[in-house]
Amino acid sequence: MALLKVDDLKIHFPIHGGILNRKIDEVKAVDGVSFEVREGETYGLVGESGSGKTTTGKAVMGLNNITDGDIYFEDSHLNAKKGKKVDVRNDIQMIFQDPYSSLNPRKRVIDIVAEPIRNYEKLSKDEEKKRVQELLERVGISSDSIMKYPHEFSGGQRQRIGVARAIALNPKLIIADEPVSALDVSVQAQVLNFLQDIQKEMDLTLFFIAHDLGVIKHMCDRIGIMYQGRLVEEGLTEEIFNNPQHIYTKRLVAAIPDVDPRNREKHREFRAQIKEEYQQSFYDYFNEEGLAFNLKQITDTHKVALPERG
Amino acid sequence: MWKFIVRRLIITLPQLLLLSLLVFFMASLMPGDAFTSQIDPSLSQDAIEEQRERLGLNDPWYQQYGRWVSGVAEGDFGTSTAHYRPVTDLIWERMINTIWLSLLSVIFIYAIGIPLGIISGRWNDRLVDQIITGYTYLGFATPIFIFALVVLFFFGFTLGWFPTGGSVASGLEPGSFEYIVSKLHHLLLPALSIALIGVVGTVQYLRSEIIDTKQKDFIITARAKGAPESRVYNRHIFRNSVLPIAAFFGYEITMLITGSVFVEQIFSYPGMGNLFIESILIRDFPVVTAVVLLFGLAAILGALLSDIILSIVDPRIRIK
Amino acid sequence: MSNQQTEKVIEQKVEKSPSGLSIFWKEILRDKLALVSLLFLVLTTIAVFGVSILLDKDEIVRVDPFAIYEPPSELFLLGTDQGGRDIFGQLIIGTRNSLSVGILVTIMSGFIGIVFGVVSGYFGGHVDNVMMRIVDFFMVLPNIMIIIVFVTIVPKYSVMTFSLVMTAFLWMGIARLIRSRALQEKELDYVQASRTLGSSHMKIIFTQVLPNIMSLIVVTMTLNLAANIGIESGLSFLGFGFPQDTPSLGTLLSYATNPTTLEQRWWIWVPAAILILVLMLAVRNVGEALKRAADARQRRAS
Ligand SMILES: Nc1ncnc2c1ncn2[C@@H]1O[C@H](COP(=O)(O)OP(=O)(O)O)[C@@H](O)[C@H]1O
Ligand SMILES: [Mg+2]
Repeated sequence: MALLKVDDLKIHFPIHGGILNRKIDEVKAVDGVSFEVREGETYGLVGESGSGKTTTGKAVMGLNNITDGDIYFEDSHLNAKKGKKVDVRNDIQMIFQDPYSSLNPRKRVIDIVAEPIRNYEKLSKDEEKKRVQELLERVGISSDSIMKYPHEFSGGQRQRIGVARAIALNPKLIIADEPVSALDVSVQAQVLNFLQDIQKEMDLTLFFIAHDLGVIKHMCDRIGIMYQGRLVEEGLTEEIFNNPQHIYTKRLVAAIPDVDPRNREKHREFRAQIKEEYQQSFYDYFNEEGLAFNLKQITDTHKVALPERG
Repeated sequence: MWKFIVRRLIITLPQLLLLSLLVFFMASLMPGDAFTSQIDPSLSQDAIEEQRERLGLNDPWYQQYGRWVSGVAEGDFGTSTAHYRPVTDLIWERMINTIWLSLLSVIFIYAIGIPLGIISGRWNDRLVDQIITGYTYLGFATPIFIFALVVLFFFGFTLGWFPTGGSVASGLEPGSFEYIVSKLHHLLLPALSIALIGVVGTVQYLRSEIIDTKQKDFIITARAKGAPESRVYNRHIFRNSVLPIAAFFGYEITMLITGSVFVEQIFSYPGMGNLFIESILIRDFPVVTAVVLLFGLAAILGALLSDIILSIVDPRIRIK
Repeated sequence: MSNQQTEKVIEQKVEKSPSGLSIFWKEILRDKLALVSLLFLVLTTIAVFGVSILLDKDEIVRVDPFAIYEPPSELFLLGTDQGGRDIFGQLIIGTRNSLSVGILVTIMSGFIGIVFGVVSGYFGGHVDNVMMRIVDFFMVLPNIMIIIVFVTIVPKYSVMTFSLVMTAFLWMGIARLIRSRALQEKELDYVQASRTLGSSHMKIIFTQVLPNIMSLIVVTMTLNLAANIGIESGLSFLGFGFPQDTPSLGTLLSYATNPTTLEQRWWIWVPAAILILVLMLAVRNVGEALKRAADARQRRAS
């Protein structure tokens, strides 16, 4: 069953410029995206920088003005017109990309982690402290650290604090926006595994955003590939990696480095070959504006953006 | 561009409405009757009441406002209580003097500010730049009235090079050569006082624009391709920085108005600013109301004009 | 601003240490001019407020027909004016008055400007649009004249009403500055995170946005103080500032509109002119140093 349903979402930002600072153009950050995230699964959204992943995630959180389209969570219409607004904040939470900017540098850990608890529950100071300590222990941070400031922690630890804050209200869905891309490679795997553990323990659904296919492969059940504000392909993880249909997906997959050094030469040739194909057949896969076509179902689980003539 | 101009024009309407309401509100707080000034305060209470009724001063405020606005639209600002003359006549003489003063000030601002800004930006951190920056540092912090006083003291009194008051020497035939020279002679010090202080913003803006432009790729490329330094500068800097500055003059009107209130007072120059202070001191409120309204109008229309010109010349939009 | 840039800005923000005061203080210690200015301001303030308690105000403003236009002497350090009043005493009390009104207006207009700006920037969109049109309108008006008119017609004229009238027409600059920073600030991840955690807008404004733009507020208020001292003395100079018989620096300067005084009795107006200039420059020097510290703090971290 779909926990989250995004339907033909469009988010356009005005660009202001010049001395008078008037609107001179528009960025179509998200331009007609539809997908579903099912209960219990990990859905991955992947694409290069600027393709609109964060914007999509923030729209689900209600942090962006939606130009057009609809978002449903369980049975509620999240962007319904006034009056019917539903508060699902404690059901959907977000882990931000940058653990340095997502924690207010002037606040202590206890205030950071307790923020959602203070907003939704009435606890005494002692109970609150106990809850925060439990949450910290759960994400692997010593409960003695509650009086510290964020800058006293490493990136990986900060991201764990971010997770502690996100799970404080027992949400159903967590949107993780590139939760490890700002971290050292050495701690990335650690944080990813820890996220998976938490997901299992708490029965979470994960909406996982990344630009790194390797990370996505490790984490996700299903994947959507995003390019310039549109989805070009969507399918089960095996389908995307073993049978990519769209030339853009093929190129992304080919770009994953091969771990086996003996295959390195072969891999380079393969990558060059895909690159050539990409350049030659670009206009078979994208319309005259360079945008992806609408998605078409090719199997029960697999969709690709191909032109009408199919 | 057209869309912007139309939108900008639409914004101006509520601005004008707000201005008229503000001035009307001000006027209704003034003692007596600032609009028509037809009540003789020495009459008995009953007689005054009767007159108020006759003049419509007991009508609801919006009716009075409507009458006032339509009068103003036809150029009827009532009668001066001090001079027993239509306010319009009184203002007209003074307005011309203030327009000359403002015009000359703006010319000076550009004539002084553009070269100083360019020199300062082009040779930044050299000695000339440090001198110019020192000047803008002082100029920014110096209130115009202190500067004008010092200028008057020094050039008017100590050196005696310039007249210390009035707008023209008496006894000269209007229109004659001597008359014009005398007018300019009287204008020079007040205009320079406004300009030397008002120039600071222009110099600072140009300087930082030019320093920014220098780092831009196209300048570096043009220079690398061997284009003479001065031509690169003149072309690009002119298009990118000087043109917009020329369009700023509408924004300067508010500054010019403030400047003229002080400077006309100090140099006893018979302009609108001087008239304003005079009238307020003798409680000639119909004149005060009219001057504020006209100055407000000038400032709003000036900003409108600048915005429109900028939307046409702003290269950052055109280049795109 | 592109996404990458936003992210960079965000990173710079985060590295700042919890205490902003020490950084301000360090910058002032390093900038000798600012340090001297600050010392001058502190000493002047103490001296002016201290001495004016000792001075007999009524004695100073009392007209003495036998001491009109006395040049400086041992009895009158800086001579006397047309009423035989001691200029030095007036200078002390005038400085105190000018400083007090300057500070009062800065705080009151700062308060209005900050609230207006932060609301406008934080909510953005149509709210911002309408609020900024209002700011534009007030900004373009010839405010000095309007202040003069209100000063003349306000009933029960006093130092407080004078300050209120000034405040009513001088809050727009700070509103604009605060608004553009609040606009950036609300895009930062930790502000956005707060929203996802269910904090109300008011709570976010007061606990996240305002504390983080505090350095901008301090800098702007300092620079505004310099401007307001100038505006007050300008109004007093024209005769629309302090009520009659309350000395201010501008009032002393206004005696110079008498040509003979301007030409021959320098002791009446030159000290006041210099004092205004030096006060404004000193406040500005401190403000500029604070500004550099605030900017550097943002830059250094990247
Ligand atoms: N608040 C905003 N205002 C204007 N443009 C924005 C804003 N947020 C994002 N964008 C633009 O939208 C596009 C998509 O950004 P984003 O969703 O952050 O991409 P991703 O997360 O995939 O890297 C980018 O071109 C970015 O510059
Ligand atoms: Mg992103």
